[in-house]
Parts: sequence; C-alpha cells; structure tokens
Amino acid sequence: MTQVVLFNIFNGLIVGAFYALMALGLSLIMNLSGVINFAHGGFLAIGGYLAFSLIPYVGFWGGLILAPILTAVLGLIVERVLVRRLYGRDPLYSLLLTFGLAFMFEDGTRFIWGAQSLPYQVPGWLLSPLSSDYFFLTGYRLFMVLIVALAVGGLFFILTYTRLGMRIRAGTLDLETVSVLGVNVRVLRNMNFGLGIYLAGLAGVLAVGQLGLQPTIGSSLIMPSFVAIIVGGLGSLPGTLLGGLLIGVASGVTTVYFPSATEAVMYVMMAAVLLVRPRGLLGEEGRF
Amino acid sequence: MSLLKVENLSKHFGSLIAVDDVSMTVEPGELRAVIGPNGAGKTTFFNMISGFLTQTSGKIIFDNEDISTLLPARRVWRGIARTFQITEVFPELSVRENLRIAVETASGLRLSPWLSRERDGEIRTRIDELLGMGGLAAKANRLVGEMSHGDQRATEIMMALALKPRLLLLDEPTAGMGDQETYDITQLIRRLHRDERLTIVLIEHDMRVVFHLADRILVLAEGKMLAEGTPQEIASNEAVQAAYLGKAAA
Amino acid sequence: MGSDTLKNQAANVVVWLLLLAMPYWLPHVGGYVELGSRVVVLALAAMALNFLLGYTGVLSFGHAAYFGLGAYGAGMTIRYLVPSTGAGLIVGTLVGAVAGAIIGPMIIRLRGVYFAMVTIAFAQVFYFIAFRWNNVTGGDDGLTGWTRQPLHLGFATIDIQQNPVAFYFLVLAVFAIAVGVMAFLLRSPFGRTLIAIRENERRARFLGIPVDQHIWISWTISCAVVSVAGALYALLNNFVDPRALYWTQSGDFVIMAVLGGMRSFWGPLIGAAIFVTLQDYLSSQTENWMSFVGLFFVLVVLFFPRGILGMIRRKVAS
Repeated sequence: MTQVVLFNIFNGLIVGAFYALMALGLSLIMNLSGVINFAHGGFLAIGGYLAFSLIPYVGFWGGLILAPILTAVLGLIVERVLVRRLYGRDPLYSLLLTFGLAFMFEDGTRFIWGAQSLPYQVPGWLLSPLSSDYFFLTGYRLFMVLIVALAVGGLFFILTYTRLGMRIRAGTLDLETVSVLGVNVRVLRNMNFGLGIYLAGLAGVLAVGQLGLQPTIGSSLIMPSFVAIIVGGLGSLPGTLLGGLLIGVASGVTTVYFPSATEAVMYVMMAAVLLVRPRGLLGEEGRF
Repeated sequence: MSLLKVENLSKHFGSLIAVDDVSMTVEPGELRAVIGPNGAGKTTFFNMISGFLTQTSGKIIFDNEDISTLLPARRVWRGIARTFQITEVFPELSVRENLRIAVETASGLRLSPWLSRERDGEIRTRIDELLGMGGLAAKANRLVGEMSHGDQRATEIMMALALKPRLLLLDEPTAGMGDQETYDITQLIRRLHRDERLTIVLIEHDMRVVFHLADRILVLAEGKMLAEGTPQEIASNEAVQAAYLGKAAA
Repeated sequence: MGSDTLKNQAANVVVWLLLLAMPYWLPHVGGYVELGSRVVVLALAAMALNFLLGYTGVLSFGHAAYFGLGAYGAGMTIRYLVPSTGAGLIVGTLVGAVAGAIIGPMIIRLRGVYFAMVTIAFAQVFYFIAFRWNNVTGGDDGLTGWTRQPLHLGFATIDIQQNPVAFYFLVLAVFAIAVGVMAFLLRSPFGRTLIAIRENERRARFLGIPVDQHIWISWTISCAVVSVAGALYALLNNFVDPRALYWTQSGDFVIMAVLGGMRSFWGPLIGAAIFVTLQDYLSSQTENWMSFVGLFFVLVVLFFPRGILGMIRRKVAS
C-alpha cells in the first residue's frame, strides 16, 4: 500500500515540478508587466513542436537546447511588436491580446504540423526504469525533474545574482523608481517576457515526451499554472514554485483514494486558499 | 468637548518611523492647520485619521467614539470627509454628476434602485446649492477631468461637503496652484468655515494660506510634534524657523 | 450617465425596431432566423458581462461558468425533472445566480488581473464537473435527449419547439425583460455608485460607498443575467455541452463587449451581432477559422479598443 502512495506522491512531485516550471514563467511575466499571458500554453506547444521538428537534425539534446531558445525568441518578438503597445492601458487589453494569440498559436500549430498526435522520440535509454522495485522511476521522469530543477535553480540564480535579475525584482516592486534610476524599462520588460517564454518552451519540450504532442496540449496545461499561482501566492515566485509542487502532490495523493477527483483537487485547494488567505500562501499583501 | 482627539499616534513602516507619537485635539468649529517641512509625516498623519492607513499605535477619538479600527467608509458615515493631495474625483463625469453621486450617497440612497420624482427634485436642489457655494454653477456640465486644477479641487471640496461632514480634512488644497487659484480656494475654505461652521483640519505648505485661515497650527518635523499654538506663537517660534529654514537661519 | 437625451431615445427606438422585425429582414440579407436568435442570446450574455465590466469597471474572464450553469440547469431540468420551457428557464437562471452569489464573496477582495484569473479558474471548475459527471451531464458528448417544449399558456399553445420565429420572439421577450431590468438599475442611484467605483474606486470609498459590497451586488446581478442567457442558449440548441463553460466562451463575451463599445449600453449587442455572424461565416468557409478569430481579437484590441460605438461617439463629439 505504501508503495502505491509513494508512487503517487513521487509522480505528483514530478507533475508538480512541471506545473511549477510553467507557472514560474507565467508569474514572472505577470508580476513585472501585469500581463496574464494566455498564450503561455501556446508557447509551450510551439516549444514542443519545434523540438519535434529539430530533433531529426540536431538530436534529442540539440532539440532540448535549441527549441526553448527559439521559442523565447518568438516571445521576444511578440512582446516587442504586440504586447508592448498595451502596457499603459487597462489589463483587459493585454488579456484579450494574449487570448487571441492563444487561438492563433493553437490553430497555427494545427495548420503547420497537422491535427494528429505526433510520435515523439525520447532516447530509449531514458525510458527504461531504473530498478524493478521502483518501476515508476523511469529515467525520463527523473530526467524531467532534473531539468526542471536546473531550470528553476538557474532562474533563481539569475534573479538573485545577475543585474538583469535584480532589475526584474526591483521592477516588480516599483517600476517607476527603477525607470527613474536609469534602467531601460522597455528592454527590461522585453527580456523578462523572453525569460518567461523560455521557461514555457522548455516545459513544452519536456511535456511532450510525457504527454504526447498535439495542438491542444497548450490549452490543457495552462489552468494548473493559474491555480499554482493563486495557491502559492500572487506576486511571489517561491510561492508559485511551492504552489505547483503542492498541486502536483495533492493530485498524486488524490489519485490513490479518489481517482476521478484528481483534477478537481487543485480547484478545491484554490477555493480553500481564497477563503482563508486570498493573497496565497506566500503572497504579498497589497499585490492585488 | 473636543470633536477630534488624536492620542499618541505613530506609524512605522518597518524601521522607518513616519509618524512618532503625535497628539492633537481639535475643538468643534476650529480651523486647524498642520504644517511642516517635506517628509514630516503630515499626509501619513491624515491617512491614519481618515482610515486610509492603519496606525502602528495610538488612538483616534472622534466625538467621544474610538474610531481607531473603523474602515474608511465607516468613518465617512461618522462624519469625516477628506480631500487628497492629488485630486480624487470622477474625471470622466461632469461636475454635476460628480456631485450627484456624493449627494445621493450622503442621503443614504447608495443601494436604492429607484428615485421618486420628489426625491430627485430635492437632490437637484442640493446639487445646485453646492454648485453655487463652490462657484461652479457655470461649469456644471463640464467634465471634471478637463477643468483647471483649481476647479477640480473646488469640485472635490464640494463633494466632501455634500457628505455633510462634521470634520473636513483637506490635504494640501492649494498644491500646484497659481496665485489666483490659491486665492479662490482660500476664500472658498474661509466661506465654508464661517458659513457652514465646519471644523476643518488642513495640511498646507503655503504659509500665506495658513496664516490667513488657521485658528491654531500644529507643526510636525520628521514625524514628531515640534510646536503647537496660535499663528502668532508659531511665527515667532525659533525651533519652527530652524526646521523650515535649516541651520543657516538659526 | 443615463439621461434620456433625444439621441439615446432615438437609438433605443432603432434598436428595438430592428430586433422586432429581424425574422423578416434577416433572411433577405443572407441570414436565417436561428442566427438571429443566437445573436440576441449571446448579446444578452455580453450585456450582462458589461454590467460588470463596462459600468462597474471589473473584469471577469470567467462568465462562461454562469452561462454554462444556466444552460445545464435548463437542459437538465427539462430532461430529468419536468418537460417545461418555463421551468427550464427559471431553474437555469437560479442555478447560475446562486453560484455567482456564493462565489462572489470569495473573490471580491481581489482586483485587476488577479480577479480575472480566479474567475477563469472557477469557470474551469464547472467545466471539469460538466466534463466528468458523464452519466448526468453527458460529459463531452453533451446533454442530449431533450428539446425545448411548446409553451402552454392556458388559452393557447405557442409552438416554440418547431417554429423558429416563435422561439425568436420568446428569446426577444426574455431579452427585453432582462435588459430592461439592467437599464433600470443602471439609471438608479445604485447604478451611479457602480459608475463611481469604475471611475475612481478610492474616491468612491471615501464618499462612504462600501466598495466590496457594491461590487458583489453588481457581480451577482451580472451572473444572474448571464445565466438567463445560458438557459436560452440551451433552449436554442436543444443541446448543452461543456464548451459552453470553457474559458474560450468567456473570452468571446469580453470581445463582444469590447468590440461594440464597453461604455455604451447597446455596445455589446452590436459586438455580438458582428462576432456571431463573423464566426458563423468563417467556420463554414475554412477549417482554420480559429486563427481568424484569434487574429480578430488581436486587431480589435490594437485598433478598436473603444469599440465601434466608442469610435462613433468620438467622431460625433469632435
């Protein structure tokens, strides 16, 4: 019995780590620029599809490295050309814009790569379980956790120790002061957006190895990101990380006892948090 | 019996002490000015009295009732109205519409889905009254956001007046105004003080306004009380001069 | 702010004439009656959203929740409880309204993008329930096996089941009542407090308006009316599926309000007319209609943020 629970908790952690990766990108963009990037799922899908197309040429590792970067570049372009125009305005407009983009991305991927689910090749050695006792510990799952951990670690490193990171953090607290101090806010927002999209692209490359590749993968994964942010705390990146992990683990555990309620549990958690502590577990006061 | 009694009010923002143990007593019908150099904590002081900020320690007693923990809307209902340093009005509505909302809310109609013709008439009369008092009758249908600074401020003051307050808090009413506008606003405040017999506390930087209007003055510097007294007492107070003019004058 | 100027009254007359005569002129321009009914139903939903968005200044991106609840409420009532159109309408509306009233207090302290986010999340909760609860809701296949019932009025029976024109007039009647209630409220002192909140929440608070409470009331009214639209939607299609609850549906309502003009009462109606017709046309022409709809959103946001009526108003004023 405990093995089953362990299996599900571990599974949940993996899934949670993955949700956290997506949510962190979303949160990064939301905190600095006040934009809810509805198209985040779309960027994720594009990351996955790009990897799919690149792998035959550059191999699995090449795809893993290149696809997120290319997706991030797309993100930088989108921000520069479209999102940037809406910063001064009501958040409503950037919401609608990214909403429209989400549609275009989903249909676009369908148009380019077809509506069918595509076979995604993960190196065989990654797929085999590490031990027969813990059969669920396939190499790929561990690999995913490792990559996510690296990415999250990298993100926090950037935010804490690099100039860009410090400016992002300062900008999240008080953008006006940051701009008065001579920082080019436009470039900052652009880079921040690109960073968030990089994470989405990376999540996409990882996701498709686990969930398969079809045009709807983006929109199906965006909700857990939202909930992770709400649960973990508005305006707090560690909170978002925590939120993602919690949701993952909660779904994992729920699968053992109430299999059909697995998806619902994250919404229950969200409702509970909203009732008891609206700003989220680690959220900052006054952020909303 | 005093109308407003502020006892040992303090506000800490982490390690920054914005307001440090300030007390003030205001009698009904008085016009009190709160002055002090920039950063003295005057607006923070106001924010606590009006409920915009929660005090770190201290009490606020209004008409014998401890209102220290009441939400802003409730303090409004008790009779405290305020204006802000940066004028807070409804910019895309006309002056008349701005006042209408204030008057209706003050008349307890905020939840009312319907207005009888009679009531509507009463409200219109009251709005016209306020327009006249504020010198805004000719501009009643203009959008507030498009008016001059002085007129926007006058609208804001009349909206506060619409609430039939017993205490009016004015935060730098002449901020950013030229001489003529300053004069007009000062006259308006004086008329309100005299004709409506309102108790007014105002924050001001413009000393002409202060000495023209105030019955008593409270001086704050670096969050602490520096001096309190009549305009003559304050004018000849050396500590006050030093605070304003710096060591050079002392 | 609701004054009955000659312009406003003229506009009202024109709108109602067009709506009343719709079954007669729409087919002549290439449309069909069911399309007209669809426009009116979705317009009602968009106008309900606009009560909250355009007038109170609060953005909900999850109104599909209550729309869908209204739809499922109506469909399930007719299928499982009593085969009556009236009962379906009433139950559908109640379900959505009550859900809105309960969820409201949970989210009312949030603002801006965070508020929008939780509204989306709640809508997804209901989507998930509709999707999973197969044996009751029909799951992904939708709720089938029922149709709207003829109206038995005692002295006559109106066949709204087979006659699309008759059904259109039922829809229009319900629309008229709902829209009338909203217009009435928006002109009242209460309605003005909502506009105050939209214009400057801080000033509203410092006039003594309990902002959270008023937003909750506005929210509940908005949810109730959108549920009515949902119930009508179910009756229109004789079918309900989880799509009605999906976040894309919520987005549609918002774009209709924005496109037509958020600051005017009839704006969302115009937005709905354009959007529904456009979507209807596109989906019959190309498989990639979704891209075009997405592009449409982007263009509206970039070039028509004030909506069509907003643009017209500007031209007239200058």
